[in-house]
Amino acid sequence: MNEPVAGIALAVVIVGLALTTFLTRTSFLLAGSRLQLNHRIEVALRYAPVCTLTAIIVPDVLIHGVAYDFSPLNPRLIGTLAAGLWLCWSRNILGCLSSGMIAYSLARIFL
Amino acid sequence: MTGIEPARREVFLQGRRAILHSLPGAATWGLVSGVAMVKGGLTVPWAIFMSLTVYAGSAQLAALPLIATGMPLWVIVGTGFITNLRFVIYSAALRPYFVDEPLRKRAALGFFMTDFTFTLFMRAAQEGWLPGRHRDAWFAGVCSNNWITWQVSAVTGIVAASYVPTDWGLEFTGTLALIALVGPALQARPALMGAIAAAVVALLAHGLPYRLGLFVAALAGIVVATLADDWRPRESPVDSGSTS
Repeated sequence: MNEPVAGIALAVVIVGLALTTFLTRTSFLLAGSRLQLNHRIEVALRYAPVCTLTAIIVPDVLIHGVAYDFSPLNPRLIGTLAAGLWLCWSRNILGCLSSGMIAYSLARIFL
Repeated sequence: MTGIEPARREVFLQGRRAILHSLPGAATWGLVSGVAMVKGGLTVPWAIFMSLTVYAGSAQLAALPLIATGMPLWVIVGTGFITNLRFVIYSAALRPYFVDEPLRKRAALGFFMTDFTFTLFMRAAQEGWLPGRHRDAWFAGVCSNNWITWQVSAVTGIVAASYVPTDWGLEFTGTLALIALVGPALQARPALMGAIAAAVVALLAHGLPYRLGLFVAALAGIVVATLADDWRPRESPVDSGSTS
């Protein structure tokens, strides 16, 4: 495992993230009037965040260190299922986080 | 400039009121982002710096595990970029309403635009209760309330989390917050199929260096979702009768 990004490198990373956020948010607001968003590209842009976030979440839940952990006793999996079930029932973010965190904690303590 | 026109001021205050009902959501999201930043390994000053400069919960949460594992700059910023791509669509949608405003004002409105404030603006526009004049002031009202709420709760989360022992596992709230964000989006069939593809590829490609697996997985998901979107039955009467 590498060392965490720190110091000047961390400052550069954060400024880089701030810039990309600013550039995406202002892109079309600042662009010249001839710029048009192609339909196909618009569709791809629409689904990009969900796909990217899923690609972050799933390994985070199902990979422990370098090894797969598909065990039903995996606390992160249990927390994810609890949060997912809550989301099926309600859109409330706080409830989703609480149920996921409680299930995760209980699984870590008792399993 | 010698003071603000009363009508403009009134529209600004209308905007501040219009966002009130979604502030609890913004506060929760900010709080969790704050907690996750500190539990994800950032010190309090860096976390506050990130919150103030980036002001994008999902991109920040996505970047955290990459920062913690010492990934190169381009991997972290690249991940932030694709997480932010939705904003390109938002800014394209907002463009017609602000096209006559000066450049500096458009840049400012873009900087403060988020999922919450964009959604509210478009709803107001579609339902016809967007003010006819001083829309920039209205949106500034909406965005300022959202910004203050998010930042105050994020800083609260950052400071509070620094007193919570690491073995409580609070860093998992970052993952849960992303789940809360992704979950509702999966109701759309193409998004669900894209997410499944992204998940499978992310698991298979996890061993690739520099988290390249993340990009490969995101790309696979986007391709599948885009193809699925093409095949989705259209609701418009013109298409509903066709056999394709």
